[in-house]
Amino acid sequence: MSAELLWLWAALLAYVAAGSLAIVAAVMNRRPERAILALIGAGVALHSVAIALRWARLEHGPFVTLFEILSSNVWSLTLVFAIAYWRVRAVRPAAAVVMPILFMLMAWLVVSSPVEGRLPPTYHTLWLYVHVAFGKVFLGSALVAVGLSGVVLLRAAGLAPAGFGALPGAAQLEELAFRFMVLAFVFETLMLVAGAIWAQDAWGRYWAWDPLETWSFLTWLALAFFLHLRTSVKLAPQLGACAIIGLFVLAFLTFFGVPFVSTAPHKGAI
Amino acid sequence: MIAIALHRMRPAGAALRRGLAPLASLRLTLVFIALLGAAVVATYLSELRSPWPLAAVLALIAVNLACAVLANAVFRRQTPLLVFHLALMAIALLVAAGRLTYLKGQLELSTGETFGGELTQSESGPWHRWGLGEARFTSLGFTIAYHPGIKRDRTENTVVWNDGTGRQQRGVIGDNQPLVLNGYRFYTSPNKGFAPLFTWYPAQGAPHRGTIHLPSYPMNEYRQALEWTVPGTGITLWTMLQFDEVLLDPGRASQFRPPEKHTLVVRAGEARHELGPGQRLALAQGVLAYEGLTTWMGYNVFYDWTMPWVLAACLLAVASLAWHFARKFAARSWSEA
Repeated sequence: MSAELLWLWAALLAYVAAGSLAIVAAVMNRRPERAILALIGAGVALHSVAIALRWARLEHGPFVTLFEILSSNVWSLTLVFAIAYWRVRAVRPAAAVVMPILFMLMAWLVVSSPVEGRLPPTYHTLWLYVHVAFGKVFLGSALVAVGLSGVVLLRAAGLAPAGFGALPGAAQLEELAFRFMVLAFVFETLMLVAGAIWAQDAWGRYWAWDPLETWSFLTWLALAFFLHLRTSVKLAPQLGACAIIGLFVLAFLTFFGVPFVSTAPHKGAI
Repeated sequence: MIAIALHRMRPAGAALRRGLAPLASLRLTLVFIALLGAAVVATYLSELRSPWPLAAVLALIAVNLACAVLANAVFRRQTPLLVFHLALMAIALLVAAGRLTYLKGQLELSTGETFGGELTQSESGPWHRWGLGEARFTSLGFTIAYHPGIKRDRTENTVVWNDGTGRQQRGVIGDNQPLVLNGYRFYTSPNKGFAPLFTWYPAQGAPHRGTIHLPSYPMNEYRQALEWTVPGTGITLWTMLQFDEVLLDPGRASQFRPPEKHTLVVRAGEARHELGPGQRLALAQGVLAYEGLTTWMGYNVFYDWTMPWVLAACLLAVASLAWHFARKFAARSWSEA
């Protein structure tokens, strides 16, 4: 096993330990928040080393193969969640919801082949980094909102573990989730703008309704619809939470589903 | 007098706002956003790709937005929200203007050839002002790096053109790096190949020198042949490039280049000839001289004057949206949300 894979496995173990501790803490009504944050932080640090080693060896960032895209997304989603966990106290119990979602991505990562790829000629641009960075903040913010929405729905269904009892009420959690969705919307807009600038120089057009562009725009429209609905109509917290989870599923399928079925040169996740 | 005029305007303004209220409804906005989503899906799934469903829904949204800005007091109280919605309207109008005036096309140039404004394929908006003839540049040749497995990497095409003062400029363009002339953006494309250079000496009249563009290489590696007509005659020639070298080795990194040794197979009716560089072929109406093998590059050209303005409007929209929500969320901290 190569050094970069060893670092990756160490990172995954730290993430799994953090997630398991978060679930146990929620069930047992304990709050080992510092330990969970330390484990997530350690995982992100180890993962950063794994990505850096591969980057140095292949002379390109994690942008080409499915393995690289999954790895960089696990890293960025965890990093965004770690920052939210550190800065916003009410987000912390949501780790018991967010980490299992990340476990699924990690499982996909470990079964995908760490095959090497070549950077396409259109990727030699600064806009690659700008576009991808905005996309990662978008998906990360949406994931935090999903975690909070999961807490709202579990409580409404009477399935919440004891640890969720100390959290604010459903309306307050849904308001917090809405804020993260606003952040997601701003960064998705920036991602689309940066992608259009890149597409202009990569393919000689800034927008061409290829499958990934179309579904990204539909995701943006759905998010705009939700934000407009949320500000113009009084929504029940459970309904808002369901909408946020639906939006995350749409965004996830756009980035990790459409590239599998599209034959256009705009590949996104693959 | 002024005071009386203002007094009369206020009730008129209030009446206008009341009249616009049904069209300014926020719930109507929700319906239009949903309709826009449906129009995008319909356009995406449709073979026709007609822009009219999208244009119609965007027009409805623009009307709704304009009425909301005029009738809804919240826009006058919240400047960032007003700026965001005005920026959205500007984007919709600019995109519409762009669709009316854009141009997208392809062209091919042999090494040493000057672009004279002719495209091999194009599509354009009905109001496009054709200024391609003023966008003249000459291709001086190109290099393309290939990774093992014949994976194309960067293309570097050296071009020269005259700037506004008539001075010659020289630069390198590529797939990501356009040459911008007269608002037209020229990019290299994956489409490129070999171009045999001929001089045709007609029995009467001046000689004519030019290239033929063989099919794109390496995409058509085993179909390097073309049927063409000698200028000013009815003579049709079938011409094939023949060589034994491996130009792009799948096993290692390589560069696009013409073969060092080659022959041209030329068929004129039933007669078959093989020509090397410098050799001549006598035909019924003159002599065809094969000068040698050069290359051709395919270019994509794009024109849309609205692009920098759309970008500015997008950035303004994002900044004002962030400003609006930052002000709104500042009232309560995120921990107390």
